Amino acid sequence: MNRLISVVAQAGMWLAAFISVFPFLWMVTGATNTANDITGGRFLPGTNLFVNIAKFFELVDAGRVFFNSFFVAITGTALTLVVSSLAGYGFEIFASKARDRVFAGLLLLLSVPFAAMMIPLFVMFSGAGLINTYIAMIAPGVASIFMIFYFRQNTKSFPHELRDAAKLDGLKEHQIFWFIYIPVMRSTYAAAMIILFMTNWNAYLWPLIVLQTNEMKTITLTVASLATAYTPDYGLIMIANVLATLPTVLVFFLLQRRFVEGMLGGVK
Amino acid sequence: MKMTAFKGVLAVAGIQLITATMALATDITVWCWAPEFNGAAMNEAIARYTAANPDTKITVVDFAKGDLETKLQTQLASGTTEGLPDIVLIEDYGAQKYLLSFPGAFEPLTDKIDYSQFAKYKVELATVEGQTYSLPFDSGVTGLFYRSDLLEQAGYKADALKDITWEELSAIGDKVKEVTGKPLLSVDMNDAGAIRIMLQSAGSWYFNADGTANIKDNPVFKAALTSWVGMLKNQNLYKSVSGWGDYTGAFNNGDVAGVFTGVWMTGGIKGNNMSGKWAVAPIPKLAGVEGAGHASNLGGSSWYVLSSAPSKDAAIDFLQKVWASDVDFYQKILVGQGAFAAYLPARDGEAYSAADAYFGGQSVWKDFSDWQAAIPGVNYGIFTNEADAAVTAQLPGLIDGGDIDAAIEAIDAQIAQQIQ
Repeated sequence: MNRLISVVAQAGMWLAAFISVFPFLWMVTGATNTANDITGGRFLPGTNLFVNIAKFFELVDAGRVFFNSFFVAITGTALTLVVSSLAGYGFEIFASKARDRVFAGLLLLLSVPFAAMMIPLFVMFSGAGLINTYIAMIAPGVASIFMIFYFRQNTKSFPHELRDAAKLDGLKEHQIFWFIYIPVMRSTYAAAMIILFMTNWNAYLWPLIVLQTNEMKTITLTVASLATAYTPDYGLIMIANVLATLPTVLVFFLLQRRFVEGMLGGVK
Repeated sequence: MKMTAFKGVLAVAGIQLITATMALATDITVWCWAPEFNGAAMNEAIARYTAANPDTKITVVDFAKGDLETKLQTQLASGTTEGLPDIVLIEDYGAQKYLLSFPGAFEPLTDKIDYSQFAKYKVELATVEGQTYSLPFDSGVTGLFYRSDLLEQAGYKADALKDITWEELSAIGDKVKEVTGKPLLSVDMNDAGAIRIMLQSAGSWYFNADGTANIKDNPVFKAALTSWVGMLKNQNLYKSVSGWGDYTGAFNNGDVAGVFTGVWMTGGIKGNNMSGKWAVAPIPKLAGVEGAGHASNLGGSSWYVLSSAPSKDAAIDFLQKVWASDVDFYQKILVGQGAFAAYLPARDGEAYSAADAYFGGQSVWKDFSDWQAAIPGVNYGIFTNEADAAVTAQLPGLIDGGDIDAAIEAIDAQIAQQIQ
């Protein structure tokens, strides 16, 4: 009986794994096929990989586009980590009367959809003369309410004794944050980093609105643009998708162990 | 008082500064989608213009079509003109929506462009209260593309496909399936393009000129819906597909023997290494409808100049010098991109009359030109997408034998609810 359950569970997991992995497989094999093979449903690897790659680099200013994506993703991730973890630390460590009210207010803001803020944000950035700049792309996401919440929750498991001991040893607050808190919370940071890198790398709607020139475009916008031809070249689109996916995959695998620890709850 | 004088000096200095920069270099920005089609045609135009005007720099920025619309709409709605382009491409079905929703945002070109030189239906769709706003670009004149080799096997030569009705096309589909084993068409049930084609072929549309729904008491709509549902009931006629890739893949892979669509598909069809195996016939017509013909339109788009554009005058000059007068330019983009123009004098050029070996020596461009001249002008209104959705929602029920009048009532109700 136990054996049967185990077999069924195994089969279920294989099925779930297949469903999760299939789109990736389809993308990778698609990158090696011609558009007609792809729409014809060919699942085997083809011989068109280098043609697709060559066409991608011919049509897309790849260096520029990837630089933009990396620059925005890395700077955006770093700044958000700093701001949000500081805020999360502050919210948890320092007790005050207003604290929970301010925090509740922040959480309430989470329910405002981005689409509702898009036009006011655009007007603001335009007023500041920041349309079509990296600042405009990165700034709205830096104080991420979700990340503040996430850091606050994880800070709950940060042992206060450590902070007290550090205080006794004469460390200032910023030194405690820098030398005690960050090293202790590194798994939390790693998980946040993966999430933020992916969010920034995949950011679509806001960059679309705020970017105006080809020189500022990110890879996500470029891939979308390739996909709206009258007769789309799916081989080209697939190779673009592969190239656009690789960095997030790499970041994930590099930080995978920490990510799992971070998601299971914080302190190591 | 002093302050005002100072401001005045500043303003004059500012203007001088602007004029000084303009004399040095003019920057024009163009937004469009489909870099291999619209973008490439625009780049060819730019190369021609800047050869004569080396001080002008024109940049094409391409986005996905839906993205461009999101972007344009957001910026126009925000009221901020900063960052808007000088020239933007808008799909014809959406033209009235932009012109009516954002009055003053686009520059009327009525005095600048000789519209008698452009296909009439393209001019009408971009006209609001006597002012025309567009530089009409590519045409969506429709044709029935078919595999001449397969249809010949089934016993149909080119003449057999001329002057037929949609019902006759359905019967031909039966025979083609029987002989070759392949359906004649690929159909995506979520796409109402066929209904749009049929409506315009008889000079009708989902809406009246005043914007009210033209569904319930519209005999053309009933005829179109009846014909299309009749065709969809014939399982031999088509392969059911889902999405654009599947749809184009079906005829590009040779799974089906044809497609009726806009002329802009020509480039895609020619990319398939099936030279000599394709031909184009006029689309069938609606039987029993007065004024119904074999000419219609699907899609197509036009260029618009933004009123707020810093280089507005230069942008208009560019459109005038190339897009509204260079016949040779239109030959080039016809050959290069398969971009079939709404600029009528282009027809007299060499490329437009050339025979095309891919289509078995047929002078396809000349045929499309003749059909284009016959397209009835209609007012697309501003809710074409909503009407499409209302129609496609009823199709499955109708194919299962639902009542056509009840479906028309339901479509009318859904549209009325959405456009109020």
